[in-house]
Amino acid sequence: MRLRLSSVEWHAGPWKCSADGVFVPGVHMVSGRVGSGKTTFALLSSRLLRPDAGTVEYEGISSHILSFQHPEYHITGRTLDEEAGSYGVDPFTACARAGLAGREHEDPFLLSRGELKRFLLSCILMRPWDLIILDEPFSALDCRGKLSVCQSIHENRSSIVLVITHEQHILPRTDYLWEMRSGTLFGLGSLPGAISAWESAPGPVRMLLERGIIPANLTRDDLLEAACRIRE
Amino acid sequence: MIEIEDLRFRALTIPRLVISDGTTAVIGANGSWKTTLLRLVAGLFRPESGSITVDGVHPVPGTTGFVDEYPDRNVLFSRVADELAAPLRFCHISCSEVESRVKEAAATIGFGDRLHQTMDTLSGGEKVLIALLTSLITCPKTLVLDEFDSHLDYESLQLADSLIAGSGARTVVRCTQNMDLAARCGKVVFLHQGGVLHDGRPEEVFSETESDCFYPFSWRTRR
Repeated sequence: MRLRLSSVEWHAGPWKCSADGVFVPGVHMVSGRVGSGKTTFALLSSRLLRPDAGTVEYEGISSHILSFQHPEYHITGRTLDEEAGSYGVDPFTACARAGLAGREHEDPFLLSRGELKRFLLSCILMRPWDLIILDEPFSALDCRGKLSVCQSIHENRSSIVLVITHEQHILPRTDYLWEMRSGTLFGLGSLPGAISAWESAPGPVRMLLERGIIPANLTRDDLLEAACRIRE
Repeated sequence: MIEIEDLRFRALTIPRLVISDGTTAVIGANGSWKTTLLRLVAGLFRPESGSITVDGVHPVPGTTGFVDEYPDRNVLFSRVADELAAPLRFCHISCSEVESRVKEAAATIGFGDRLHQTMDTLSGGEKVLIALLTSLITCPKTLVLDEFDSHLDYESLQLADSLIAGSGARTVVRCTQNMDLAARCGKVVFLHQGGVLHDGRPEEVFSETESDCFYPFSWRTRR
């Protein structure tokens, strides 16, 4: 199972997004500055955007899903149970997993943004998918929600999971690191080696790198363990 | 200074809360009514009972700089230039001054040559940076910022913080899920199920959360 982007280009006026890369099963983190093309890359990878040049090939991938950066873009149902039904998942389980048990008949737009994000990620991650593309899955979530999503991502690591994020503190265990730099996708490689080349690293990782410490991975525990080495 | 007395609005109940000048972070789990509190402070909602005053006056929309957590809900106009100019135009400021202030503001975030770009072509992070600049362009005394930082990378966040610090706003109330950012504020208000669970200096509030993930990461790693 592979997602293969070959010489992909997409233009918007003078701005260009370029991507070349092969994504195998595991957790791939894609980061980058604001406006660097992360969401465009997500749309191209999910085939919601057709490239101006190059190809996006799904090899052995029979199911895929994209979680939008903005959860409000997903809503099609008038209630949470209708919304869960549109994903083919049990609404009671989806609500319970999102900490919204008993609220199945509520209007999704009456939830807080964080609650809505938690609910939609719950719907998406309850089903198996060959390719899961999560665009900013942590934005709007509180720290408990972020930790829970990290756990779900870890449980889905036999799929190809693309996590597009600039989250600073709570990240999932990651297999491969990628970076969008001014519209171009760069493959930095597997962890932990890739971390030292990470230009848009979050604050805690920068702090470690400045002290010459490379964490084993990016989870909260990995970063705390690495930080303990400062004390030694 | 913001004073809240006997406030009730839907499930939000705050008997008394004083937010002094400086920067205050509002934190709490999803669904703890943070956004509602911020909207009340900005005058976008009116209390069902009780009162909120900002410098002794009931807040009214338009007098406070406000950034919504939904990037698209900040957008009123199609072009970046018109979005930035809107608050100045609403104040009937001369066209030449509007133009010069818009150019000056745009340059601070590297948008000097992108003023004619349409808002719908911007990324989520770029939209909130424009929303922040728009909220600052009339130099409001009070700024209310609803979790806009969740759309920003590390460097953009540093830039946004420097813009806020240099804005001259006397009172800044910002909701965030970034506890390190909250720890740098002068005061923290921790909401829980529509009430204030803790409020005080960061050291006081976070001393109650040490066993939880609501504790600044940087504090766990300081020597």
